[in-house]
This record gives sequence, C-alpha cells and structure tokens, in this order.
Amino acid sequence: MDYVAFLIFLAVMMGVALILVSLNWLLGPKTPQEYEDYPYECGVPLYDRSAQTTFHQGYYLLGLLLLLFDIEAAFLFPWTIVYRWLGVFGFIEMFLFILILTYGLLYAWRKGALRWHFELEEM
Amino acid sequence: MESVWIDLLVVFLKIIVILAVALGVGAYLTWVERKVAAHIQRRPGPMVVGWHGLLQPIADGLKLITKEDLFPRYGNRFLYNLALVLALVPATLVFAVVPFGPEFEVFGYKVKPILTDVNVGILLVFGLGSLAVYAIALAGWASNSKYPLIGSMRKAGVIISYEVAITFAVMGPLILAGTLSTYEIVQSQIEQKLWYVWVQPIAFVVYMFSLLAETGRIPFDIQEAEAELVTGFTVEYGGMKFGIFPLVEWYIEVLTLSAIGVVLFLGGWSPINIPFVGFVDPLFFLGPLSPYVWFLLKVTALFLFILWLHWTLPRYRIDQITEIAWKVMLPLALFNIVITSIIAPLIW
Repeated sequence: MDYVAFLIFLAVMMGVALILVSLNWLLGPKTPQEYEDYPYECGVPLYDRSAQTTFHQGYYLLGLLLLLFDIEAAFLFPWTIVYRWLGVFGFIEMFLFILILTYGLLYAWRKGALRWHFELEEM
Repeated sequence: MESVWIDLLVVFLKIIVILAVALGVGAYLTWVERKVAAHIQRRPGPMVVGWHGLLQPIADGLKLITKEDLFPRYGNRFLYNLALVLALVPATLVFAVVPFGPEFEVFGYKVKPILTDVNVGILLVFGLGSLAVYAIALAGWASNSKYPLIGSMRKAGVIISYEVAITFAVMGPLILAGTLSTYEIVQSQIEQKLWYVWVQPIAFVVYMFSLLAETGRIPFDIQEAEAELVTGFTVEYGGMKFGIFPLVEWYIEVLTLSAIGVVLFLGGWSPINIPFVGFVDPLFFLGPLSPYVWFLLKVTALFLFILWLHWTLPRYRIDQITEIAWKVMLPLALFNIVITSIIAPLIW
C-alpha cells in the first residue's frame, strides 16, 4: 500500500508536469517571426550551428570519481542500519572499508584528478 | 473492502495537500524571496500589485502562461520538453516521504501526516535527488546553444561532487537512528531525547553546504552566474517553461531538502531540545497543533537562513567549488562516520 500511494502521486505529478509544459502552447500567441527561435549568443550571428562539442575534461574526471564513491556509499547504507547489532566486528570491518576508500581518494588527489588549472602551472 | 476505499481517499487528500504546499507555497516563496532580498538591500521590493505586493506571484504566473511557446531552432524538441518533466516530477515526489507531524486519529481512524512511510525513505530522497542531474544536463544539451551547455555542465559537475558528500554526511544520523524511514528517525530522536545536530555538528555543516550546492544557491550558483552566463541552462526556455526551473531549483528543492535536514538533524516536529534531558515546549498552549507549528517553524528558519546567505555572499569559481567538495567536505564526512560509530553505543 505504501508504494501504491507513491505511484498514484507519480501519476498525478506527471499529469501536472505535462499540463505546465503545454500551457504556453495552449494559451500563448502564435505569431512566428524570422529570428525569434535563433539561439541566443548576445546578438552575434552563430559561428557554428551546433553547440554540442567538446567540454573541459575536469567534468569527465568528476563523473568517474562519482561512480566509484557513490557505489561505495550504496554499500555503506545497509551497514549504517544494522551497525547496532554488529558490534565490534562491524566497526572494524567498516573502518577498514573507509580506510581503503580514503586511500582511493588520496590517490586521485595526488594524481591531480581534482586540479583544474594544470595548463597554467606547466607554462 | 471498506478500508481500501478509505485508504485511497486519505491518499488523495494527502496528495492534494502536498500539491498545494509544493506549487502554491512554492510560488509564494518567490514573493518572500523578493521581499527578503529587497529588505537586505534596503529597498521596499514589490509594492504595487496588491497590499505590499501580495498579488505579485499571481500576476507573474499569468504573464508567464500567456507568453509565446518558443523553441531554439537547432535543438532537440523531445529532450527539451523531457528536461522539464524530469526537473519537476522527482523534486516534488520527495515530499512523499516528508513527515509533517505525529500520528493522529480522525473518527477512530489513524492517519500519519506523511504520504508514504516507506522503510527506505532517505534512500528514496537521494535517489530522486540524483535525477535532478539528468534534467539539467538534458536542458543544456537539448537547447543546443552555448550558454545553456556551459551552465548545465557546471551544474552537473557541482551536483555530482556534492552528491557524494551529502550521502556520506547523512550516514551519521542514520547510524544513531538505525532506520531509513523518515518518520522513525524523528521518533528515535524523541525517544533518545536528543536532536542529532548536537552530536553531529560536522555532518550538519556538510549537509548545509551540499544543500546550497544541489539547489544552486549562492555561494554555489555558478550554473546561473548572471554576469557571465546570463542565466545558464534556462537561456533558451521561455514562458512557463522558464518558470518551472527556478520554481523547482530554488523553492521546491530548497523546501524538501530543508525539511529532510530538519528531520535528520533538528528533531522533526519535536520542540526545543535539552540534550539527554528532555524537551521544552514554549508553544504548549497550541495543544495538538504544536508539533506542526514546530516543524513549519524549523523549515522556515532554515529557508530564511539560506535566503540570507544567498543575498549577502559572493560566488565561487567552478574549480573551487568542486575542490571544496572533494578535498574538504568528503574527508570531513568520512571522519564523521568513524567518530559517530565510536560514540553511537553511548547514545543508544
């Protein structure tokens, strides 16, 4: 029953979202003009029609780090709930796990995965 | 059979209340924000439409829904609209696990003022919270314009950095409570006579930093950065479609994350706490209403604190923000887990 309520709420919210998205199409004026849908770039004609090109590699490294640490967080969540019944054994296990985790973070840090301004420093 | 219908009726009533809170209060918070910002900068703010500008949100809404439906010509129409749905739906669904007060009885029927008291409440909150990344990344990508793409990349980088810090930060209170259900977390704080903020100050600070980053509030609002990116990933959106993004990011997400913060650290609907001794309730004269008032007061206090930060602080650079997340917040959160697991047996 708990999740039924959640699913009903999901359906209602999908409906509300679709209404909000289509409101402008339903109620707004429709007077097409030549440049009204031109991508905004401070009034300068576009040099390149597509903006979907390369981006700073720092974001890619952040994404890799997120994958590692979020999976490890998913392993820690069940432990936090049952820790009360695990006692000293649970504490030592978790301590080793977090130690390895911290070592991974320090490795990434040392390798410069968190540093964005390496181009300037090398010059 | 009777009870199923009653259950469904209760569910629908709760959904109506939550929608009123999320969309109605969410819309009126724009007025609150403009007033607070104005008074911080020593000017009156909206004064013309209605008494002290009280009808301003309605006027703004009417203006937004009667704008022309524009779409950037080189973009992807399906992803462009999907981004809006993905932004609004998960952010509002978090309200399903926010407990507004203790259980009460109507006509001999027990009602919990929470839509679904699922036993994985906190996991649900962070699962839905992570979906915000998709909305923003898609909004920037589908617009196929330069400012939105830069803005959405920055925002995605900030969110995924602080996602890690916030998940490790909430583990402290979870160890002490021993449950993931939001309702039970508040119950265990009342039973232990302890707001978890007293023994989890580090986790609370990390949580507040992550809240600011996830909702794109100053000092972490690098994705908007009016001075350089105009408004970031919302540049190519117009009308109500433009209205949805700030509504979701600045109001609904701030409200839900403040409410979850109150649940985790500030004892939910319990009155003022003296650690390990008990609770003092200056609002006892309100009788059974006092828990609800306390919950609202705490959420309002957190919200106003965030507004205060927003209108007084400068903005960080993107590399500084992500470095703070990985080099300061994450080690602090890991340290907090170890400390908490050592002191936890003293509190149970």
